[in-house]
Amino acid sequence: MKGGIRKVFAYMVRYRAAGLFLFIFCLLTLVTLVNPTFLEWQNLRDIAVQAAPICIISCGLMLVLVTGEIDISVGSMMGLLAACMGAMASLSRGNWPPGVVIPLTLGIGMLLGLLNGWLVAYAGIPSIIVTLGMLTALRGVTELIMAGTWITDLPSGIRFLGTGTWLGIPVSVWTALAVFLVSLWLVHQTAIGKRIYAIGSNPHAARLAGLPIKPIKVFVFAWTGLLTGVATLVSVPQLSVVDSGIGVGLELLVITCVVVGGTAVNGGIGNLGGVLCGVVLMTMISTVLIFMKLGEDATYWSRAIQGLFILGAILADHWISNQRKT
Amino acid sequence: MKQRIHHILWQPETFLALLVASLFGLMGQLDPAFIQWHVQRELSTHAWELAIIAIPMTLVILTGGIDLSVGAIMSLTAITLGMLFQSGCPLPLACLAALLAGILCGALNGWFITRMQVHPLIITLATMAAYRGVAEGISRARPVSGFPSSFAWLGQGLWLGIPVAGWLFLGLLVVMLWMMHARSFGTHVYAIGLNSTATRFSGIRVDRMLLAIYTFSGGVSALAAILLVARRNTAKADMGMGMELGVITAVVIGGVSIFGGRGSLLGTCLGILLIHETREFVSWHWNRDELNLLALGALLILSVVFQKLLRHKRATP
Repeated sequence: MKGGIRKVFAYMVRYRAAGLFLFIFCLLTLVTLVNPTFLEWQNLRDIAVQAAPICIISCGLMLVLVTGEIDISVGSMMGLLAACMGAMASLSRGNWPPGVVIPLTLGIGMLLGLLNGWLVAYAGIPSIIVTLGMLTALRGVTELIMAGTWITDLPSGIRFLGTGTWLGIPVSVWTALAVFLVSLWLVHQTAIGKRIYAIGSNPHAARLAGLPIKPIKVFVFAWTGLLTGVATLVSVPQLSVVDSGIGVGLELLVITCVVVGGTAVNGGIGNLGGVLCGVVLMTMISTVLIFMKLGEDATYWSRAIQGLFILGAILADHWISNQRKT
Repeated sequence: MKQRIHHILWQPETFLALLVASLFGLMGQLDPAFIQWHVQRELSTHAWELAIIAIPMTLVILTGGIDLSVGAIMSLTAITLGMLFQSGCPLPLACLAALLAGILCGALNGWFITRMQVHPLIITLATMAAYRGVAEGISRARPVSGFPSSFAWLGQGLWLGIPVAGWLFLGLLVVMLWMMHARSFGTHVYAIGLNSTATRFSGIRVDRMLLAIYTFSGGVSALAAILLVARRNTAKADMGMGMELGVITAVVIGGVSIFGGRGSLLGTCLGILLIHETREFVSWHWNRDELNLLALGALLILSVVFQKLLRHKRATP
């Protein structure tokens, strides 16, 4: 029996996702015991829809963190992309067909990512500075574009991306699934995936081995920009109003999910399963608190509980990595 | 001698001072009313909280760390002050409790960072959510107001023609300048930022210093929160939202390397001045806040590029 526990424990130490998964499972059991309606299809679907854009961006951001860089501009980037998409697609402004708006939004996202990547890799500015600057500047551009107005008349073609379903499952969830699978393929099946990890775990060795460090760094930032575009397309049309405040604070939520999922900020370590569990956990918490029937107080304490979960995840990680060493 | 002049000339501080001077010149040309003393004094009220927190943030970044939780500590301490005052506690005692709460929050950050060996970015990201969450929880997201008018003097009043908050900033600055330049403390801070392992092996208690610096950061954030509450006459859980990014931007524009070990308090002061004047002038002259954000972001990236070029220039006379 003791050996069995030790085996399970060793597995959890080895695979971060397993530990998180177990934790999510316990939380689910607890909330279902208190309130069985939690497991109703409608509720699970709402959680999935909330998690989808976070999951999409996290897949990109994880790779950025794995190369040892950071990107805190995704929130403002999403704001700008939403403004661009709204201005191009809305019936009263551009009224362009979705076939044009979608590739253009993705293209702008990728260009912004390329700019980030170029400034980091080729101009040699620390990524936290570049993306902090972008966080501020892009929000300014968004406000310039929106000029204090808001957009409420998105055409049905674009709206479908946010609210439509296919086989009973929302489009955004399908998209998140696709992005996740592509990311899995990218990380595990391609040379570039291996190189991303190589650069993050030992930059010096990677340079000596002749890996193209700069292009790969540009790639991860551009990929994150592209995915931010995807997330914008599937999440913003759910809203009835597009204004200049979309995506404020998103960067911190995404980084939190990625870090809770076991990605190291110093680079080299990170796995997609863990990130997915991190996303599910962080988006579940607020709903769980409501379903626990803790009363009105719980809503005020939700951020504190979220903070405690993050601290808990970090401490668990610290403890586990100590166990691994001994 | 020539080499020395060359060295001083290519310091980021020299470059920043020139930039600030030319900015003032430009503003004087475009709008002479803006650079009058009483206008500047009035506008300076917006900057003191940021300026005060920038001092410990400079130390934190010089050691190669970062503190994202300063805004959340402001929120928690403001709420501590407000709730205690509301429950009938005398105001000076409530302020003292707020300071203590800030110091505790900072010490907790420092403890996690030194004991758990976790990256400061991650720890302070987590405590940022936790501290603001606790502030929201205990205040139930409701504002507290109705402070006596004598309290407002702290945030709005003048003493010898300069705002009280300004005196606090100057006092703190002078003490820290003395600490950084006349005591071994300053040298140790730079040493930790440049190579913390080597510093530890030199017999310097790195962990104790880091703990002290993060605690100091928490305490000063609480001080800023008290000033902010006094100025606005309310305490709310969303106070200090986004403060951390503003402060870090000011410090980095001031020439402090985000990797630690390079930069100075003088540079930080110039960085604060540059940001503050740019921000206020854009709002004053064009009355457009969105240009402000754009200018700030561009300023941050460009100043870091310039500093990189300057460093290169300084190294090759």
